[in-house]
Amino acid sequence: MRSITKRFPGVLANDSVDFEASEGEVHALLGENGAGKSTLASILTGLYRPDEGEIAIYGRKVEFHSPRDAMAAGVSMVHQHFRLAASLTVSDNIVLGDNRAGWLRTSPKTIESQVDELATRYRMPVHPRARIWQLSVGEQQRVEILKALYRGARVLILDEPTALLTPQEAEDLFETLRRMTAEGRTIVFVSHKLEELMAVSDRVTVLRAGRLIGTVNTTETSPPQLAKMMVGREIVFAQFKDGHAPAGSEVVLELRNVSADGDLGIQAVSDVSLRLLAGEIVGVAGVSGNGQRQLAEVISGTRPRTAGDILVSGRSLRSGDPGQAIARGVAHVPEDRLGTGVSPSLSIADNLILKSHRRAPISTRGILRHDRITANAKDLMTRFAISAPGAETPTRLLSGGNVQKVVLARELSSAPKVIVAANPTRGLDVGATEGVRSLLIKAASDGVGILLISEDLDEILSLADRIAVMYEGRIVGILARAAADVQHLGLMMAGSSP
Amino acid sequence: MRIERRLTTPRWLALAVPVASLVAAFAASSVVLLAAGKDPIAIYLRLFDRAFFASGALTSTFVTATPLLLTGLAAAAAFRMRLWNIGGEGQLYLGAVGASGVGLVLRDQSGIVIIAGMILGGLFSGAAWAVIPGLLRAYFNTNEIITTLMLNYVASLLLSYLIFDSQSFWRELSTFSARAFPQGKVLPDAAMWPSFNIGIAIVPFGLVVGIAVAALWWLFYGSTSFGFKARVLGDSPSAARYAGIQTRRVVVAMMALSGALAGLGGASEIGDFRHVLDPRGLQQAGLGYAGIVVAALARYNPYAVVVVAVLLGGLANAGYSLQGPDFPAGLVGVLQGMILFFALGGELLLRYRVTFGARRAAPPRALSIAAGPAGVSGP
Amino acid sequence: MNVNESIVVVLAASAIFYGTPLVFAAVGELLAERSGVLNLGVEGMMLMGAVTAFWAVQHLSGPDWLALMLATLIGGAAALAVSTIHAILVVGLRANQIVSGLALTIFAGGTGLSSYIGNVARLGGKPAQHEFGAINVIGLADVPVLGPILFHQNALVYGSWALVILALAYLYRTRTGLHLRSVGESPQTADVMGVNVARYRYAHTLAGGLLAGIGGAYFSLAITPNWIDGMTSGAGWIAIALVIFAFWRPELTLVGAYLFGIFSSLGFVLQARQVHLPPEVFASLPYVMTVVVLVVVSTGWAKQRLGAPAALGTPYVREER
Repeated sequence: MRSITKRFPGVLANDSVDFEASEGEVHALLGENGAGKSTLASILTGLYRPDEGEIAIYGRKVEFHSPRDAMAAGVSMVHQHFRLAASLTVSDNIVLGDNRAGWLRTSPKTIESQVDELATRYRMPVHPRARIWQLSVGEQQRVEILKALYRGARVLILDEPTALLTPQEAEDLFETLRRMTAEGRTIVFVSHKLEELMAVSDRVTVLRAGRLIGTVNTTETSPPQLAKMMVGREIVFAQFKDGHAPAGSEVVLELRNVSADGDLGIQAVSDVSLRLLAGEIVGVAGVSGNGQRQLAEVISGTRPRTAGDILVSGRSLRSGDPGQAIARGVAHVPEDRLGTGVSPSLSIADNLILKSHRRAPISTRGILRHDRITANAKDLMTRFAISAPGAETPTRLLSGGNVQKVVLARELSSAPKVIVAANPTRGLDVGATEGVRSLLIKAASDGVGILLISEDLDEILSLADRIAVMYEGRIVGILARAAADVQHLGLMMAGSSP
Repeated sequence: MRIERRLTTPRWLALAVPVASLVAAFAASSVVLLAAGKDPIAIYLRLFDRAFFASGALTSTFVTATPLLLTGLAAAAAFRMRLWNIGGEGQLYLGAVGASGVGLVLRDQSGIVIIAGMILGGLFSGAAWAVIPGLLRAYFNTNEIITTLMLNYVASLLLSYLIFDSQSFWRELSTFSARAFPQGKVLPDAAMWPSFNIGIAIVPFGLVVGIAVAALWWLFYGSTSFGFKARVLGDSPSAARYAGIQTRRVVVAMMALSGALAGLGGASEIGDFRHVLDPRGLQQAGLGYAGIVVAALARYNPYAVVVVAVLLGGLANAGYSLQGPDFPAGLVGVLQGMILFFALGGELLLRYRVTFGARRAAPPRALSIAAGPAGVSGP
Repeated sequence: MNVNESIVVVLAASAIFYGTPLVFAAVGELLAERSGVLNLGVEGMMLMGAVTAFWAVQHLSGPDWLALMLATLIGGAAALAVSTIHAILVVGLRANQIVSGLALTIFAGGTGLSSYIGNVARLGGKPAQHEFGAINVIGLADVPVLGPILFHQNALVYGSWALVILALAYLYRTRTGLHLRSVGESPQTADVMGVNVARYRYAHTLAGGLLAGIGGAYFSLAITPNWIDGMTSGAGWIAIALVIFAFWRPELTLVGAYLFGIFSSLGFVLQARQVHLPPEVFASLPYVMTVVVLVVVSTGWAKQRLGAPAALGTPYVREER
C-alpha cells in the first residue's frame, strides 16, 4: 500500500501511509486509538476507498469497490466484532455468499467435509452443525478464520484478535497463524498489545495520529522502544493542575473490587479498586476497549455490577440504579454524548433539566415550572457560553462542542460530589477542548472529585493528579503525576510492565 | 438515487407532503374508478357533499368522527413512543363493555352520575386491557404488536360471548323475542350522553371530550414531570435510562393511557350513539384499526388527529350514505388505503433527502476514528 | 356408527380442511419475515385472492381442474400485485412496516378493493361454477381412521403439503435459502458477503403475497364456494400469529394451522354432539396460546434458539463507503 490517504469529515485518518507485507510473514500494525490502523486495514479489505494512494497485491495494482472484490483478490479480514449470523450454523456462515459452486444446490455433506478438512489441517476444531450463539468467542473467531480460508485468502487481516480471548485461546490462535504463514500466507496483525506483537510478529509498523512512524524488524526492537514510537510526543497543552488534592479531603468515591460484564457477557471490568478524594482528578488511561466505558457505566448505575461495592461519600450504591446514583451526587459525562448524554430531539432547555425534572425547584408536585426551566436555561447558557439560536433549539442541531457544553452545564450545575467524565473532549476542536478542561479544573477546585477516563494521554497528563492505567478490565497501576513518564504509561497501557 | 437522513424537516414540507399525498391519492383512485367505468369527479363531488355540505351531513360526519378521534388519539399516544399498540380495537370493545355495564348497574341514578360512571368504566376497562401487553413488553420484552392484536380477537370473542352465548348481565332476557334473538339490554334514557347544537351541526359529547383531550395533550406532555419522562423515552431510550427514568413504569403507564383513550371511544359509542352493547355493530365498524389510520395520517400530532378524524369520518359517512350500485362499498377502503400509501411514501421525503445523480467519491458522515470504522451497518 | 364418523376422525379431517388456507398464508408470511419484512396486510391479500379467484372461476369454462387451477393462480397473482405496494414502500422507500401493512389491509380488505371488486362485478349470491371437491386418493378414502383424514381431502390440501416440503428444502438445503436466512438474521453480514438484501426482500414479500392469495382463493373455491364480503374473517391475522407460533419453521405451520383448524371446528362439532361450551372459549384458545408462546420466545434463551429473524421489521440502510 503506497501513500494511502483517507479523510473523514474533520479528521485525517491516514496521511500518506506506506505499508507493505511479504509472503509468509506476520506483520503487526501498532498504534493507539485514532492512530489510523483500523482505517488502513479497512481500506485494505475493501470497506473504504482511499482518497489517495494505491494498493498492489503481488505486484498487481488493484482497486477494491467492496469487500467482495478484496475477497476475490485473496484479502480477507477478521473483524474485532465478528460478522456472523448468530442463529445460523457454522457451515452456513462459512459458505455464505459463495457463488462459486453451482446455483441452487448445496450439499451439506460436501460442505461439512470441506470444513472438517480445513479445520483439521489448521488444527482449529469446530462443529460444522453448531450454531454460532452456542460457541465460545474463541470458537467464533475460528469460524471467521475458516471463512477466510474457505475462500482461499492469501492475505489475512486480524483486527485486535486477542481482545476477547483467554490466554490459552490466544496461544492456539498463534499456533494457527504460524501454520498459515508456513504455507506462504501473509498475516496482518492489528493490535496495541506489545507483548503479543513481540511474540508473534516478524515486523512491526507503527502508526501515530494517521502518520507512519516507522517499520522495524521485531528481533531488532523492544517493547519500550515500540511504546515510545506509539505514544511519544511533546505535551501540547500547558494546563497544569497543581498536582494533588487539598489536604484532609474526604473520600467521595470508592470502588472496592468491582467487576462487571460487558455487552457480550464477558467480564469487562475485573476487580477494580479505586479511591477518589474530593477536589482530586484521577485520570484513567488506557487504549479504548479495555473496559473504560463499562467502568463509567457501572459507577453511574446504567450497568449492573457483578461483584464489589461502590460507595459515594461512604454510602453504598445499589447496583444498576442510575436514579439513586444521580440522587447521591454522581454526575456522568458519557462517551456517547448525542446518543446517551442528551435526548437529541428535545430542546436545550429540556436537556438541561434532563435529570432534575422530577424534583423541586424545576417541578412541584409533578408539574413542570416553565418559568424556572427557562430561567435555568438562560442562566446556564450564559455561564457556559452555549451558542445556539435559542433555548428551544433541538439539541441535535448543535455542534459537538456545544452539545458537550450542554451536558457539562447540566452535570456541573447539579452540585455533584463526583463527576465521571468519559472522553469528554473527543471530537472537539481546540477551543471547545480548552473550555471543557477549564471547567473540569474549576470543578475540582470547588471540591468535586473527578474521574477522568480518557484515551488521550496528553489530556490525562495535563489534568490528572493521579493516573490509573486500565488494561483488560483491570487497573494495572496507579501513579502520581509527578512519578509518571510517558514511556512507562505507554508500556502499562499496552499490557507490559517493566 | 441516494438517500441521506435529514437533520430538520422544513415547516412548509411538513404541511405540503400530507396535502400532496391526499391529492395524489384521490388522483390514483380516479384511475380505479375510471377502470370501472365511473366518473371520478362526479363521485368525489358527491362524496364531499354528503360528507360536509348536505343538510345533516356534518352531524352525521361528527357521529362517525367521534370514535375515530378517540381511537386516533389512543394510537397516536402510543405510536409516538414507538409502542405499537394495535389493540385499539379490543380496548374499545372492553371500554364499551365496561361503560355499558356501569350504565346498567347505575340505571336508577341521575344522568350526571351515570355518565361519569360510564366514562370511568370505559377508561378503566380500556386501560386494563392495554396494561396486559404493556407489562409483557416492559418486563419480558414481548412484541406488543402481536400481543395487542391477539387480545383484539379475545376481546371480540368476549363481546360475542356476552350477548350471544351466555346469560350475562349485559344480555336482555326479559322478553321472549329477546331470548330467541340475542340482544343487549338497552341503557336507560338518563345514560344518554348529551349533545350540543352549534347551529350548523350537532356535536356529540364524545367529540367534545376528544377535543378536550387533544387540547390537554400538550399540557400533559409539556408541563408534567411524567410527560417529560415519556418524551425522553420516546426520543431516546438510552438517554432515558441514563437520566434515571424508570423506563418500565413509563411503558406500562403509556400503554394504559392509550388503552384508556380507546376505551373512552368504546364508552362514547355506547353513550353517544348505540345505547346498547351491540357486538356485531362494533365488530363491523373496525373503529380501532381506523384510528390507527387516522393517527398515522396525522403523524401523531393531536391537533392534526382532530382534523384527520373529521376528514376520514366524513369520507366514511359519505361512503355509507352513498352506498349503492353507483357507489359500491369498498370505495371508502380503497381511498383510505391510497391516502395512507401516499402519506407513507411521502414520509420518505420528510425524513430523508433524496438526490439523484452519479455517485461521488464522498466520504461518509462524521465517524469518530477512535471508535473504529463502523463498516456496513444499519441505522 | 363406523369409526370414520367418530368425533376424533371428523375433527381431524375438518382441522386439516379448515387449516389449509392458513398454511398457505403462513408459509408466505414466513418467507417474507425471514427476509426481514413484516407484512401485516395478509388479511387484505387473502381477500384479494378470494375475490379474484372467484371472479376468474365464474368466467372460465373448460374442465374443472383447469379452471380451478387457473383461478387459484389468478387469485395469487392479484394478491401478489397488491403486495408490491407494500414491498415498494417498505424496502424501497424505508416506510414504517407496521403502518404500511395495516394500510394494505384497509386498502385491499373487506372495506376496500376486494369488496369493491366483488360488488362491481356482482359476484355475490351465486355459487361457484367450479369448486374444489374432495379427491379420493388411490381409493384409500375408506381406510379406517386415516382414510378420511389423509386421503379424502381436496387438491389444495395436498398442494399445501407439497408447499411445506418445498419450503423446508428451500430454506435449509439451497444456497438461496441460506442467503435468505442471513438477510433476515443480519443484513449487514449478508451485504458484506455480497448478497443483495433489497432484492431478497422484494422477492420474498411478493412470494408472501402470492401464497396469501392462494390461501384466500381456498376460501372462495373450497370452503364456501361462494363469495361474501370479508369472508376470511380474520384468517390473515391468525396466519401472522401462526408464523410466530411456528417459530418461523415451515413444518410447524402445519401443526399450528391444524391446531387452529381444530379449534375452529370444535365448536360446531361438539354442538352437534350436544356438548355445550361457549364456542368463544375454544375460539380464543389459539390467540391466548400465541401470547404465551410469544412471551416464552421473547426471553433471551429461547430467542436465539427458536426466535424471530433478528432484523425483522427494521429497514436496512447501508452506510456510505
